[in-house]
Amino acid sequence: MQEKKISRRTVLAAGAGAALCMPFIRPAWAQTQTVRALMWEAYVLPDVVSKFEEENNVKFVATFFDGNSEAYNKLRVGGAKEFDLVQADGFWPQLYFRDGLIRSVDYAHVPSAANYLPEFHAEKFKVLTDPASGSKIGYPFCWGAYGITYNAAVVAPEKTGTIECMFDPALSGQLSTSARFEENIALAALLVTHRLGSREKPRPDGKPFNPYVLTDEELDGVKKLLIEQKALLLTRYQDNPTLFQLLQSGAVVAATEFAQVFRQLLTAKDGNPKQDFRHTLKMKEGGLGWVDTWLVTSGVEDGPRLDLCNKFIDRMISSEIMKRIGEVAGCSTTIDLRAISTEEERKLYLMDRSSEISDLFMFDQPSSPEKWERVWSNVQAA
Amino acid sequence: MSEAENRLNRRLFLHIPTVFLVIFFVLPLIALVVLSFWQTENYKIVREWTAMNYVTLATEPAYFIFFIRSLFMAIFVSVFSVVVSWPIAFFIVRYGGRYKLILSLLLAVPFLSGEVLRLIALQGMLGPTGLVNGVLLKLGAAPLRFIMYSNSATFIALVYLYLPMVVTTVYLSLLNFDFRLASAASACGANRFRIFSEIVWPLNLSGTIVGFLLCFIPTLSAALAPRFLGGPNGVLYGMSIAQQFGESGTWALGAAMGVVLFLFSMLVLGVFSLGIDLRRTGFTGMGRQ
Repeated sequence: MQEKKISRRTVLAAGAGAALCMPFIRPAWAQTQTVRALMWEAYVLPDVVSKFEEENNVKFVATFFDGNSEAYNKLRVGGAKEFDLVQADGFWPQLYFRDGLIRSVDYAHVPSAANYLPEFHAEKFKVLTDPASGSKIGYPFCWGAYGITYNAAVVAPEKTGTIECMFDPALSGQLSTSARFEENIALAALLVTHRLGSREKPRPDGKPFNPYVLTDEELDGVKKLLIEQKALLLTRYQDNPTLFQLLQSGAVVAATEFAQVFRQLLTAKDGNPKQDFRHTLKMKEGGLGWVDTWLVTSGVEDGPRLDLCNKFIDRMISSEIMKRIGEVAGCSTTIDLRAISTEEERKLYLMDRSSEISDLFMFDQPSSPEKWERVWSNVQAA
Repeated sequence: MSEAENRLNRRLFLHIPTVFLVIFFVLPLIALVVLSFWQTENYKIVREWTAMNYVTLATEPAYFIFFIRSLFMAIFVSVFSVVVSWPIAFFIVRYGGRYKLILSLLLAVPFLSGEVLRLIALQGMLGPTGLVNGVLLKLGAAPLRFIMYSNSATFIALVYLYLPMVVTTVYLSLLNFDFRLASAASACGANRFRIFSEIVWPLNLSGTIVGFLLCFIPTLSAALAPRFLGGPNGVLYGMSIAQQFGESGTWALGAAMGVVLFLFSMLVLGVFSLGIDLRRTGFTGMGRQ
């Protein structure tokens, strides 16, 4: 048998190796629990997160996404185990639930859920109810539309009563839309189907009209319309701060957006002279609406982790935090804040107009993402 | 050193990097190729072998247009960067004196911040409310529309991003160049243009080609610059690939686009490598010939 010598060099090498591994090795008792969320960046309030971390001895890790389909893709590739909480809007939570990516929830464990506006109460807001089991699948958070924010000094208010406003050659070079392809196509689809009069005809899915379920003829019309619009756009903005600057500087006079920038423009305390910015929630051809939600992934089992998730959601939808989120993100909230808001805030955040959400077409999954992607690529390449 | 120690050293210095490359470079590439022969339907991967994604790329003009846009952008950016880099690098090498190293390191300063940060800063510079147009407006002049959300803006951004790489490469090449050759040619009566075109340029061509490629390849796949600055008509091939893997969820098509880009880049590298003599680039330590 060969005798092995332990040299000084071996000891040093082993010591260095162990030292290098130390940051990755921690005893079980020192491990901090982590709450991992896949969410919209606009809803992060650092001080709220820090307080939650301190109170519960947990670490909150947020990952951000730009669109529902991106979040869905992340969840599909194992994200249900990598995230505890996820945000989605429109009909996307239903898709998540059907695919087993999220679990059912119990409003009884989230006391703040008692403060929802009437439209968002558990029994009334069916978008977050699983039709098969009747169980709730998520918590409403913020709501809004994809309407037109415009500078009334340049664009006549009556002009924005129709989606045609966003295709008006008179405003060439002064228009902007978001870079989200689903909403651009769906909004153009409202105009195209209105012009074609095809909404009342039998739909491809046999259900009532939905701008996310289109025929090939309608998609072709949408493509032509969006190609025409491209020549009129200054840019497709990537984020709200960019649109804020474009509108405030006057470079853009009308843009489709979630009313968040509109509110930020009106409440900005930057010393710039206030301009007459207005927002049209619903156009005559119809409008798109969204309700952001908090969902718990299927990777979270009953027990301490679920309790932590419930605590976090409860904190986020508490009146005090929701009011701040509304101010920071510029969105309307699903929690009834009328008792703690001024008259101006009630108007600005549409607190008395939440019933209008039922008149809007909810954000949804495109009937064929592949076809929609081809349409969008052709528009971008034209 | 014993035979056993020799074996261990070989493993450490050869096997570990090889394993690293196989896991993090070769395997993802294989996965990309496999994915490109599958399909995606409603955000789900259908594991059935098909060449449909390549058929789509060949028949849908949109992707070809993105590719051609990217190709032209990469050529323009790389050629412009080389043209601008030469005088900068030449100046540093010839007149930098003892500050040569500091001047060359200064080129790396922009790399100390992230790419997104640099692009956002540039967006602020070139946008309608940015520094350039802001000053013009204050002076009562019309804003420069061509630098706002356009291919020109993307061009400026890409030059800004990759110019330091080209300058550094040309600088390193010139650093190893024996300027006594130029002096000898001058003594024999050659004018400046002839010295440059027949001695300095040819003997530094390899380094210049390396610099060109270091700019060309990433520019060909650029996604962030066109996204932030390109505007409605500025979508490039790399941005479209990012879109397939992001919001549209058509991963298989994106993988096929990636494979096409990879093969094209390899082809370009292959063609250009014919003109590269590594012994003349100054990177090998093999000395000049």
